[in-house]
Amino acid sequence: MSIFKRIDDLSSSPRIRKGWFSAALIIFLTLIIIPAVFVLLEAVIEWESVSEVLGDPTMTGMIWGAVSNSFSIALIVTILDIVVGLPMAWILVRRSFRGKRYLDTLIDMPLAFPTAAVGISVVMFWGAPEGVAIPGLGLVMSPYLIVILLHTVFTFPYMVRSLAGILDQIDPSFETAGMTLGASRLTAVRTITLPLFRAGLVTGFILCFARSLSETGGTYIALQMLGVSSSFFTGPTFIKYMKDLPGADPTGALIVVSVIMIVLAVALLLVAKYMMNRLRLPWTKVWPVWERRLSKGLAARSKDILTFVFLFVIVILPSFYIFAYLTAPSGVADLNSLFGAIGISFAIAGIAVVFNIVFGIPMAIYIARNGNTRLGVLLDNLVNIPLIIPTTVLGLSLSMFWGSFNLPAGAAFFLVTLGHISFTYPLVVRNITGAISEVDPSYEEVARTLGAKPFRAFSKVLLPIVQSSVIAGAILAFTRSLGETGATISISKDVVTVPVYIMDLIEQGQYYQGAVAAMILIVICFILMFGVRYLTGRRKQGA
Amino acid sequence: MKIKLDHVSVKFGDLYAVKDISMTIDKGEYVTILGPSGCGKTTLIKIVSGILRPTEGRVFVDGEDVTDVPIEDRDTGYVFQNIALFPHMTISDNVGYGPRVRDLDSEAVTGTSRQYLELVNMLERAGMMPNEISGGEQQKVAIARALASGSKMLMLDEPLSALDARVRMELRYEIRRLVKKLGITVLHVTHDQEEAMSVSDRMILMRNGGIAETSTPLDMYRRPETIFSAYFVGETNFLECTVVGKTKTGKTTVRLRNDTIVRVAKSKFNVGDPVVISVRPEHVYTASDGLPATVRNVVFMGTYWRIRTLSATDDYIEYNIPADDDIPELGDEVFLVFNKKATLVFARPSEGLEEAIRLE
Repeated sequence: MSIFKRIDDLSSSPRIRKGWFSAALIIFLTLIIIPAVFVLLEAVIEWESVSEVLGDPTMTGMIWGAVSNSFSIALIVTILDIVVGLPMAWILVRRSFRGKRYLDTLIDMPLAFPTAAVGISVVMFWGAPEGVAIPGLGLVMSPYLIVILLHTVFTFPYMVRSLAGILDQIDPSFETAGMTLGASRLTAVRTITLPLFRAGLVTGFILCFARSLSETGGTYIALQMLGVSSSFFTGPTFIKYMKDLPGADPTGALIVVSVIMIVLAVALLLVAKYMMNRLRLPWTKVWPVWERRLSKGLAARSKDILTFVFLFVIVILPSFYIFAYLTAPSGVADLNSLFGAIGISFAIAGIAVVFNIVFGIPMAIYIARNGNTRLGVLLDNLVNIPLIIPTTVLGLSLSMFWGSFNLPAGAAFFLVTLGHISFTYPLVVRNITGAISEVDPSYEEVARTLGAKPFRAFSKVLLPIVQSSVIAGAILAFTRSLGETGATISISKDVVTVPVYIMDLIEQGQYYQGAVAAMILIVICFILMFGVRYLTGRRKQGA
Repeated sequence: MKIKLDHVSVKFGDLYAVKDISMTIDKGEYVTILGPSGCGKTTLIKIVSGILRPTEGRVFVDGEDVTDVPIEDRDTGYVFQNIALFPHMTISDNVGYGPRVRDLDSEAVTGTSRQYLELVNMLERAGMMPNEISGGEQQKVAIARALASGSKMLMLDEPLSALDARVRMELRYEIRRLVKKLGITVLHVTHDQEEAMSVSDRMILMRNGGIAETSTPLDMYRRPETIFSAYFVGETNFLECTVVGKTKTGKTTVRLRNDTIVRVAKSKFNVGDPVVISVRPEHVYTASDGLPATVRNVVFMGTYWRIRTLSATDDYIEYNIPADDDIPELGDEVFLVFNKKATLVFARPSEGLEEAIRLE
């Protein structure tokens, strides 16, 4: 209590508040942003090995192949997500039907699945990998196609969520107004709702694209199970491959692929931001007869049916397929090392989330309340950087940054945690910023006029209002951290988190052991996600 | 266009939003739908415009059954409560939206748009975005947009409720002038009785999903058919009493709760009937003799004073006195008399007076 009061008293002073914000800003810059992009500087320092790689055609060929695989897969996956995600968002927001709540939950489920688990599950479902006892569809597909299918599974919920979130805020009377003026449903949606939707589309695009670009563990596992992990690469799996390659010094190649991916990803982010403000869909032309025909009857119904088929066949079934292993237990799982890994995973995720909430909230408040100042805009954009940089690249960059400080050998755990702090930071700050900017500042001002000091006004007024967003951001960050592979392995080989543990098992061909570990991780993530959602949901209803 | 509803009901789950409504609106008529919130006013115009499909009953326009015709083919202008101008289009594009989705060529679209913007005196704002003009201007544009699709029916869903008082007054007459000029049939939903009375040819008073009364503004004010209409339209005092005398020509006398005898308007009731009389404040005067009452409250209303008294019958009775007159002090004793022609008699409702005038 006395500590609380101390803080409260201190918070009256503008200097203390400024100091606190500056501390958060410095932490953000030194621990998160600079390490994340340090590799750009490293490219200059290590120019010799970089130029050596650039002069090696086999090497540049491999790098270009990996990078173009990454970007083209991300693009295809994102477009697929938008095309199917739009009707799905419409169904979730604008229709009411029995069982909608369950559909809502079902769509979120893949979010609770660590990508390493999804990797195993998707390959089991579509193909018939050697050494897996469970029969799948047995289709022979190119690794390119399998990776697309895999990435669709875990990006689709992000897309549906961000589209549904925006759609929910668009007043349905716009569409109805259009229809009373003679527009068919399709015309009204296309000319009225979709243009109002731009922001949601762009956010969904960035989220899904970045997620696909970044994904390492699941992709590597899938390629490993298909037996092509040393001939087919995405950007992140190429980094993993090079790091594991015995003998040769990989530094040059790692730097080159990292720099290319950072530059392309940031360029993409800027283009997307630009499009969000400028892009105007030039579709003013209307085809009344055709659009009317497509708006109802068979065309409209088959669109809905196809959407559901996509959800079940492409997303839900492949992600749950791993549970088929329950029907054929073979061997005993090594629970000891599994629970050791779980302990490490939880410790890292927990520290990262707490750190981000403590140091992210001042940043979120600043961005939300100063969104139109130059510094506010700059920070708003900077916060997105760890989100858009592939986590493997981020981890690599971070380990290069800290590597230059000659840290003791035992620092691996600390470094991995820092890595996880970096890529979960935007998830926490984004969520809280969004919530705070929705809150009318007058609530806090009222509290101040009633005599509350700034910290009290914040903790008793603002925080309870945005609490559910803080929790949502925290869960999102926690589960992302639990499921992350790329950042962990690119920082250290010695910190064995659960996904890394699963990946090692798969590499050794111990599919059953890997599947059991994956299932346990899924169940834990599930309980976490839905448990907290249940708690927050109940509190909301009670209030 | 002539609109007819035939035993129309709308059910949401187990609740009737609108229950068994039949009505006819003539071509070119300006009809307001009045009623407390949640009584089904908006549901009714949504049925006419096709936004909602009735659970039971049929909708006819010019004698044609349009119940199953989708919204986009109804050709009904609809102005939304929240105005709903498309925020990403200019004023001119908003108004041109109707012609555009019918695939008229761009010249015709601009032409129609200009024509209707001119009609509402908004042509100079054509190039602006909706958020750059005032609320009243936005509403004018919304009306122009609804009319520009060539519709001869216009549904107005509380179009003025979001506007400042003065803008509201000016705009309501402007709307009436415009639609009368164009010969458009209007259904105007409002909860503001003054607005309803001042613009409409006919008023429909709704309550609990049904029609309480339909008549001209003057009739509904002077000769309401139900206690609810008397209560909702204008202000009135209710007193419970019993009929004690009746002449052949219908002249009635009643006995109030404190045994005071009062003469009231002609009625159909017989001696001994339990009744309620309704007398508006402007028909209550003070005199040297009459119903004794104590002054409880005096409020200045601008053009007059409103005096609230507690009468010997244990009813609150309100009356007006001109703004320049002397006002009584709190606690003063006054004697009240009623204008007998304007004192209406209703059967005492079996569910009780409170229940009969409850708004929900």
